[in-house]
Amino acid sequence: MTALPKPQTLSLTVNSKPVSMPVPQGVSMQEFLHEWLGLTGARMGCGQGICNACTVMVEEPGKLPREVRTCITGAHWFEGKTVRTVEGHARQNADGSLTLSPVQQAFVEGFAFQCGYCTPGFVTAATVLIERLRAAPVPREAVERVVSEALDPHICRCTGYVRYHTAVRDLVLATPGLVTA
Amino acid sequence: MRTFLLTLAGLAIGGTALAGLVFSGALNRSVVSRTVETPLTAEQIKALAPQGAKVAAAADCYACHTARGGAPWAGGMPFETPFGVIHATNISPSREGIGGWSRAEFHRALRDGIAPGGRHLYPAMPYTSYRGMTEGDVDALFAYMTTRTPMPVGNAKNGLAFPFDQRWTLAAWNFLNLPASVAEPNPERSELWNRGRYVTEALGHCGECHTPRDLTQGLRTSKALTGAVIEGLEAPDITPAGLTHMGFSAASLATFMGSGLSAQGAATHQMFDVVHFSTRHMDRADLLAMAAYFFDRDALTDEAPAVLPEPAPVAADVAARAQATYAGLCAGCHGAMGEGIPHVSVAMRGNASLRTASPSGFVRAVLAGLPAQSFPDGERMEAMPSFAADLDDAAMADLTNWMRAEWGGQAPTVQTRDVAAVRATLTTRHAAGD
Ligand code: FES
Ligand code: FES
Repeated sequence: MTALPKPQTLSLTVNSKPVSMPVPQGVSMQEFLHEWLGLTGARMGCGQGICNACTVMVEEPGKLPREVRTCITGAHWFEGKTVRTVEGHARQNADGSLTLSPVQQAFVEGFAFQCGYCTPGFVTAATVLIERLRAAPVPREAVERVVSEALDPHICRCTGYVRYHTAVRDLVLATPGLVTA
Repeated sequence: MRTFLLTLAGLAIGGTALAGLVFSGALNRSVVSRTVETPLTAEQIKALAPQGAKVAAAADCYACHTARGGAPWAGGMPFETPFGVIHATNISPSREGIGGWSRAEFHRALRDGIAPGGRHLYPAMPYTSYRGMTEGDVDALFAYMTTRTPMPVGNAKNGLAFPFDQRWTLAAWNFLNLPASVAEPNPERSELWNRGRYVTEALGHCGECHTPRDLTQGLRTSKALTGAVIEGLEAPDITPAGLTHMGFSAASLATFMGSGLSAQGAATHQMFDVVHFSTRHMDRADLLAMAAYFFDRDALTDEAPAVLPEPAPVAADVAARAQATYAGLCAGCHGAMGEGIPHVSVAMRGNASLRTASPSGFVRAVLAGLPAQSFPDGERMEAMPSFAADLDDAAMADLTNWMRAEWGGQAPTVQTRDVAAVRATLTTRHAAGD
């Protein structure tokens, strides 16, 4: 292991755009997103893998999407992977306006967040959950549990847990195909 | 499975042969003296209880006799044994527990393995070790236990297959495995060593996990403390050679037992429970005595600080793949040089888990993750995520070999099948990477 960071080319897809550039070895994914790509949405909370404010979605063909903590994961670990940060959820319209993703819209309508620091992580978690439910729907009785399990690792210092939970649960129940009859 | 069948056959035949002896009572070899027939007075109980609290901590009664999240001392903790699942019983002074037991009955349960009414205890209860406890310590423990809050909690049913559900067969087991007499202090050794042996063998029952077992599940005393596999995980070799191999000295071992943390890493898996419920509550003098006994020393002297092991050679391709994995998934918390982060994650350089004979504890921790753990004085280590979904067996074998060689000085002998064997013990949740 060398103490001096040596640059190594990193190529991946971020928010549907291919990216390729030299990045010093040992740089975390969060630093890379913030300092090299200017994407500051994945927040630095604890920097120790505890709060999950820094998570992004990793989407691999043929696999269910996953949530990965960028603070404790090296940038080069994402070589060749497809990543969605919080900046990649809303859709940009032709007139330049944005249409929020269903999860983002549900959080706004449910007044789920307050300061918003934890929100990128919650958006990631809820989106991953919904994509997974699309692949493998659960019975109605299991919805409370799967929502709790998905959001549980995320810390919100403003304690918006109930509203986050309610927003995600209601969205899951209202979205066709996520719940078995 | 073959071992299991052999054991089954062995016990069945041996059991039948001994049945006659059992029913004739010829096998009951009690070490309990007649003096305990006299009940303790209320004053004696009150005076002895505080000492009993220390005995209970050193003997680690609570960890087994309290289900996680359950009522204190009310039992219910399940144990997987090769014969089926056994549950620890309620030992609070309620009707379901030890309420109404006499002093003598308590002594016989603890030291002979026989509860009131002649009911044989299963040897998951370490009465073979507790047999060596002094009368005074058993009295103190009795005083402490009978003054706990009674918990009216029923005992869970055991899931043992025939013939292991037949308690009379245990008389035969005892005949084979229960020592007839108990160890007397060795006059050739120091008081420190003798105290250490008593705390380690009789109270701490360390051998129940760290000593391998024979076909009848009796302890192979000729291989005492050389390490064993328990619930799928390796309890390492803790003989002087084994401890030295892991990088422990007597002083660092005492620190490790007292705080759960030392330069060799953090107590994890079942050993975390041992520290959490038992050793951290023990007197420093007893921890030092145990350390002296473990290292077979009559006195503890100042030691030079432990030297880190020299790296062992690893193939360049293995090292390159492992370093990429380490930089991607591990360095964020354990540091680029394996130095760890204080109060967050342990150092891997010199970590005992990279130096044990079997890599299974390390592999299990990486694949399954570890919960956050709190240690004395507000110290804690954060949770370790599960990496089962990120690392396949080959990648995990590379990482294990490189880390063991680089920071543990061990030859890179780990095979993908070693990783696969550990992976097979994981739950579906770990495997899904949740
Ligand atoms: S900042 Fe990554 S988990 Fe807290
Ligand atoms: S909204 Fe402030 S931390 Fe969650």
